[in-house]
This record gives sequence, structure tokens and C-alpha cells, in this order.
Amino acid sequence: MFVSRSMTRKVITVDPEKSVFEAQELMAKNSIRHLPVIDANQKLVGIVTDRDIRSAMPYNFIKDSCSQEQREQICALTVKDIMTRDPLSISPAYTIQDALLMIQNSKVGALPVVDDNGKLSGILSVRDLLRAFINVLGIGEPGTLLCILVKEEVGQLKKIVDAITEENISFGSVLVARYWDENKRAVFTYLLTQNVAHVKKKLDNMGFTLLDPMEWYLDQLPKNGPSPKSTE
Amino acid sequence: MNRTGFLYDERYKLHLTGDYHPEVPDRLTCVYRGIQEAGLLASLIRIEASRADMKWIELVHDGRYIQRFEAACLSGKRMFDSPDNQMCYDTYATALLAVGGILDVAGRLMEGQLDNAFCAVRPPGHHAEAANAMGFCYFNNVAIAARYLQNQWGIDRIGIVDFDVHHGNGTQHIFEQDPTVYYYSIHEHPSFAYPGTGREFEHGKNSGNGYTKNSPVLPGQGDDEYRRLIEKDLIPAFEEFKPEVILVSVGFDAHMDDDMSDIKLSTEGFSWIMQRVVELGRQHSRGRIISILEGGYSLKRLPELAANHVKILLNAQIS
Repeated sequence: MFVSRSMTRKVITVDPEKSVFEAQELMAKNSIRHLPVIDANQKLVGIVTDRDIRSAMPYNFIKDSCSQEQREQICALTVKDIMTRDPLSISPAYTIQDALLMIQNSKVGALPVVDDNGKLSGILSVRDLLRAFINVLGIGEPGTLLCILVKEEVGQLKKIVDAITEENISFGSVLVARYWDENKRAVFTYLLTQNVAHVKKKLDNMGFTLLDPMEWYLDQLPKNGPSPKSTE
Repeated sequence: MNRTGFLYDERYKLHLTGDYHPEVPDRLTCVYRGIQEAGLLASLIRIEASRADMKWIELVHDGRYIQRFEAACLSGKRMFDSPDNQMCYDTYATALLAVGGILDVAGRLMEGQLDNAFCAVRPPGHHAEAANAMGFCYFNNVAIAARYLQNQWGIDRIGIVDFDVHHGNGTQHIFEQDPTVYYYSIHEHPSFAYPGTGREFEHGKNSGNGYTKNSPVLPGQGDDEYRRLIEKDLIPAFEEFKPEVILVSVGFDAHMDDDMSDIKLSTEGFSWIMQRVVELGRQHSRGRIISILEGGYSLKRLPELAANHVKILLNAQIS
């Protein structure tokens, strides 16, 4: 659950004195969007993103229509001119949950990971978090997902798990989604089997509601509320 | 009327799966009864099971896997690789009879004794991977048939149409790097159904890129959506690929009365699909179609679905 286990250790970094074009080249070559900027002592001094680079280049530069003087100015730009100084960073001892909340609140795409001595030890991007969640959700392992609506009451999950276990079925994952209905939760069980017809009938006979798959969602939206909007 | 082969053998019922398992011998009883009651038996060319030559199975499956499977069966194990794969002492022998029967059918088709055929076999095959059993399947029947046709009969291009409601992960993985076998599957969307593969962006790898196509269908959809996707995805693909023989992984579990899925195909919907496959066969494959049973668990619907399926093969226009 710690950042140190999920972060990318081989970080591609850039020197503050390098040109913006060199930074752009590095990103393109490595298919990345964030470059931590470090000084000679491996200390993190900034971060530069692909968006910083795009903002630094005016439209007429890209269109090849700006003046010679303007061109020279842009070509002289270095990483330290456009980077975000003292960027938000996290410690390798942070948890994945810490990182998720920080990324959501700060709206950044990646967090440099800095050890107790201030040295850069890795980077944790949204991509690393996605990898962890693909694993947690069990996507890729053969199985069948069910969604069971339960009352917000102690002991509901036990009944479900017992009923499924009695059928000799293994779990790939179990997720509980909140904010479905007042006093209700949705339990998503990923079962490592093709043979779910019998267990579905059994859960139904026990009084559980198996939700129509077209009604499933994992997000915190109210059931009949607005559709999700991009925050970009 | 065509010379349609019908592979059926009481020995395919020897593979037993125990309690609460949908893949039961009664499925075949229903298939046979449906065909019999529709008065079609006399029109069909009956073929009985025969044991497969191991060399053909080894074209698809790992030698150690085959040994492991045999050993598990003969040592009395009741489960193999996953709890889905419940079995008995006779499972291995039955699986060999299924493959053997299908290869016999394929050989007769190539010799010109048959125009097309329906193989009512158990256990099914399309989930079986090269080195492991999955989803009620042990040997990948359709994949072995494809390799046999290529190696024994020199067929260059094989088209596989899989309309079982579950994605045929085994078949896809066996051929995903191979441009000589086109695998098309239409199935319930993998986020809602077993086995969790068969997404739209899976379209083959390396030199096989572009020779796999998946049409995932959302829960609750039925005839209209199948029609739309088959016209959009399958027809143009096969018109370009021009398969010399078409193999069909026929599963009846997308039927609205089959509780193995949330897909709501009607009996007529199944007929429409097969009719469309048969037309593709007439255009590109000289009518050469071998359909091989995969899933389909509604004992109430299997008789009519099997009868309609066979009727379409018997009456298909093949040239």
C-alpha cells in the first residue's frame, strides 16, 4: 500500500539549464508527460510538464510565422524559466490512498517522490495508480462480476460471502460502492467462475437484489443525478 | 437438400460434471430430441465419434498439458485447473472422442462426402487455452479442427465465427498472431460476463494484427444489436478475408431464456445469424461450414435452437 512499491524508480529527469526543446524531446522519446527537474545534488527543484512546454510556445511559433527576435527568445528558454518551482511531492512512505487524495485535490497528473534527505527517489503518476487498480479489480483474470444491492447494515457482506463460498467459488475481488441510495450500498463481487446462474438464484432467494448490469456504476454520483463532467 | 453431416454419439454424455453444473449430458439429449422431433434425422448423414490422433491435438495444445489432463482424470480428480472444470474418470476419453469426431467430419467434408456439418459434442472447447483448461473446456475443438484442415488438407485461410455468448479466449489466443486464421467473436461485453476478454481493441498481434475481431454486446441487448454488429463487423471482414472453410463455434447461451447471460436473443435471432453465416459460406467457402457446439444451457430451448440450426445447414444454398 506504500508509494515506494508502486512508483516508477527509474525516473527520467532534466537539468534546469537544458533548453525547453531538449525537455520536449525527452518526453516524446520516453512517452511521458512529467519531468522532475533536479540539481547537481539530486535535489528536486521543480517539475516541468508537457502542458508547460506547450504554453511556452506561442501559436505563431508553431505555425512558423513569428519574427526572428521572437524565435530567438523562445529558443533561449530553459527548463528553469518554465518549470513549476518547489512542486508538490510525496514521501515513499506515503500510502496509495494518500497519493490518490492528493492527486484528486491538487489536479496534478504525477507526484515526484522525495526521500527524507530531499533526494528524488521516484515518481508516481496516474498511470501507476491505474495499474494498481486494474490489479485490485481483477481485470484480466477470467471471471464474472455481479452487483448486489444491500441495506447499510452490519453483517450483509458476511451473508453474501458465505453464500458464494458455499458454492465453492473463489473471489477475484469484492468492492463496496457507497452513495447508491440512502441506506444502501452496492457490493460488487468478482467471481472466478463462468458458472454463476445457480449462485445468482440463491442470492435472489435470500432476498438480495441483483442489479441490472446496465444500472451499475462505481462512482459516487447520485443514481438519477447529472452525468459525470470532465474537470479539465 | 445438402449433404449435411451430424456428429453425435451417446459417449459424449460420459463426461459428468456433478451437481449444480450447467454443462450437463442432458444438453445433448435435448439437441438430439429437437432434431429428431423436427423430422430431420433421416435427412442427415450420421457420424459417430472416433478417437483423435494425438498428433493433431499437439498442434494446438502443449504436450505437458495433455499429459496433465490425462493424469488428473485417470487418478480420479474431480476438478481440473479451475472449479468450473468439474470432471470424471471418462472426461479425458470423451474430450478425445469430441476432437476425433470433428476431425473425421472435417476429413469427409474435404473428401467431398459432405457439404457442411453440425458437430454436437461435449465437452465444449473455445475457452481452452494451449496449456490450461477453463470455463468447462479442455481441448479447443475448433482450433484443432482449423490446424488439421491447414496441415492435412492444405487450406490456407480459415474463418472462425464464434457466437457463443462468452468470448472464446482460448481460440483468440491460439490464433491472435496468425494471419491465416481469422477469429470473429460476438459475445456479451467482458465487463459484464465471463471470461473478461474480447474487448473491441483486441484485434490480433504482430503479423496477426487485423485478423481477430470482437463485437462486445451490452447486457439486455438482443436481435437488433446482433444484426447491426454482424453486418458492420463480420460481413466486411470475411468479404475481404475470403475464408476457404468456415468453422462456427455455436453457442446457444445468448438466448433470452438462457440464464447464463444477460443477452436477449430470440430463437429467430439465432436463425438469422446462422443464415448470414451460411450466405458468407456460399460466397467465399463453397458452402464449406463446420459448426461445433460450445455452450447453450436452456434445456427448454435447446431442441428448437438445434433443429433450426441444422435446418439452415440442410437448406443452405451453397453455390
